[in-house]
Amino acid sequence: MSGNGNNELLKVEHVTKLFGGLAAVNDVSFTVNSGEIKGLIGPNGAGKTTLFDLITGIQRPTSGKVYFKGIDVVGMRPDEITSLGMVRTFQTIKIFEGMSVIENVMVGRHSRTRTGLFSSGFLLPRSRKEELETFEHSMRILEMLGLETRAFDAGTNLPYGQQRLLELARALACEPEMLLLDEPAAGLNPYETQELTQLLERIKSDGVTLLVVEHNMGLVMNISDEVIVLDYGEIIARGAPEEVQNDPKVIEAYLGSGIGNAKG
Amino acid sequence: MKQSVEKSKVKAKRCENKYKNFAIASVLILIVPLWARFIPGNLIHMDIVNVMALAGIYSCAVIGLNLLIGYAGQISLGHAAFFGIGAYSVAILSTRYPGFPAWLGIIIGAIISCAISWIVGKPVLKLKGHYLAMATLGLGEIGFIFFREATGITKGTVGIIAIPPLSIFGIVIDSDFKIFYVVWITVLLLMLFSMNLIKSRFGRALRALHSSEIAAEAAGVNTSKYKTVVFVMSAVFTAVGGGLFAVFQRYVNPESFHFSVSILFITMVVVGGLGNLWGAVIGSIIITFLPSIISALPYWFPFMPESLTNFGNYTLVLYGILLIVFMIFMPKGIAYALEISYSSALRGMKRIRDRISAMRYTKRK
Ligand SMILES: Nc1ncnc2c1ncn2[C@@H]1O[C@H](COP(=O)(O)OP(=O)(O)OP(=O)(O)O)[C@@H](O)[C@H]1O
Ligand SMILES: [Mg+2]
Repeated sequence: MSGNGNNELLKVEHVTKLFGGLAAVNDVSFTVNSGEIKGLIGPNGAGKTTLFDLITGIQRPTSGKVYFKGIDVVGMRPDEITSLGMVRTFQTIKIFEGMSVIENVMVGRHSRTRTGLFSSGFLLPRSRKEELETFEHSMRILEMLGLETRAFDAGTNLPYGQQRLLELARALACEPEMLLLDEPAAGLNPYETQELTQLLERIKSDGVTLLVVEHNMGLVMNISDEVIVLDYGEIIARGAPEEVQNDPKVIEAYLGSGIGNAKG
Repeated sequence: MKQSVEKSKVKAKRCENKYKNFAIASVLILIVPLWARFIPGNLIHMDIVNVMALAGIYSCAVIGLNLLIGYAGQISLGHAAFFGIGAYSVAILSTRYPGFPAWLGIIIGAIISCAISWIVGKPVLKLKGHYLAMATLGLGEIGFIFFREATGITKGTVGIIAIPPLSIFGIVIDSDFKIFYVVWITVLLLMLFSMNLIKSRFGRALRALHSSEIAAEAAGVNTSKYKTVVFVMSAVFTAVGGGLFAVFQRYVNPESFHFSVSILFITMVVVGGLGNLWGAVIGSIIITFLPSIISALPYWFPFMPESLTNFGNYTLVLYGILLIVFMIFMPKGIAYALEISYSSALRGMKRIRDRISAMRYTKRK
């Protein structure tokens, strides 16, 4: 909440992560302004997921700073960062086993609720009230994503595409200011990808800022206001989607890794 | 929105169902002493009420441990120490200070266990992995050595005898019949508390972190805090069980808090069903009856060699075998098997009823 005049929501400064000798992320700096959608692309192993881990506190950078809303979040626990309003999804889907779809979403509301051990154990009225609110809020999110009919099925029983949506629902449940999505379209069919595109636009119009890692160029180029390209842990290009697409360095990075420019 | 209101109703109904099952189970348990007294002792060679009371005492510990192992995914190899702290608190206080109320001793034991488990759990559960198992292994050993060697206060291997009975609202709980009810009402209250907990925000956080710690953290759950709270809670439940154990036996010695008792608790959790609340109770009942059944075998089958029925020699071996067998063949425990057969029995009954009515219908035609 520092009043630095402009509307920088996330600021990453000279962030580096070394794994032994390998620099998975190397001196990366960028900012995300509130209200925008930023795309983060790069060939496999470029360091995109690692960068997400560093921003959201799952891993600690070897050096560098990360500010969210002006707050230095390096060294904070992931759950503290989530409560600040920055939430991520995972490239490898992590649906909670043994829990229903709605319960999965309700966990996402954890940081916005406070019922503790005793009030839930003794079923105090305020815990019931909060429980009902949590349930209804989560149900509304499921409705928005078209998952409401599956609310009471086991989360892990959903088809793959819907599991991706469920992860998004869980992230949305805590009313984030900023969402970090790690390959939200991976494994989706063209129709589902189309729907996801609309959904992301809607989330943006609700005032949520997005940082999206994606191999589906169609999707990224379509929704992003600006795109950052990462290769071998370093930013090799950034700018408007059209610019980046035609940048020879970007084309080379993708061709060099044997992946065409058009898809992941 | 309308649809989701309907769904809320469905959900509310499911909760009601849960309480209905709880009520049925409570009644089934609480009527045990009423019919058990009509079974002649020389027929079965065991005292059902007495063994059930002990099973209830173990249930307190096992319900707590089940929350820790089955829901939070952490293992404790030293819960016998908390059981001992509960028992010795009552034993020491009420024998040293005549007139000291045993229930206060139970509360003090719970508070001491709370403090110790917090001191041990807090730093250890910050780490990811199974460090708690190692730390509690040490704790259990220290506890046992303390109970045996601190002869000044624990009377060592001799143990503390003549522990005065518990008295509640002026009623002296001096018979197996009375202690049965004190124990099982406590168990049912702990069950109710745990049931509420598990389906609440707290329980969801636990189940989530059991499934994926990283995803739970990303969803906003402070996982090390939750693991610590569950560990402390399980220690407190276990200490309450230990306190009841002291006023049930009216005598304590270190053997009741040996490492094998920690393994006994884990066996009960696994046999009953990891992460199944009623499993904890079912596992405790089955395993507590096991020694009584084994020692009654020679009466039922006079040809059995006596050495086989000398249960004490084989406890750890037997628990070990049970743990392995259940982990391999029935990892969800007996409670789950019962649930499945119960619901398939209901379905089967419905099918038979449908068929009968179909038959009637065709006949009439
Ligand atoms: N824990 C780790 N230890 C060692 N090396 C790691 C670790 N995590 C990631 N790496 C390495 O860091 C590099 C970046 O990996 P990362 O998963 O961030 O790439 P990515 O851009 O997300 O790739 P993809 O598109 O395949 O998801 C890779 O070379 C990877 O092997
Ligand atoms: Mg990745």
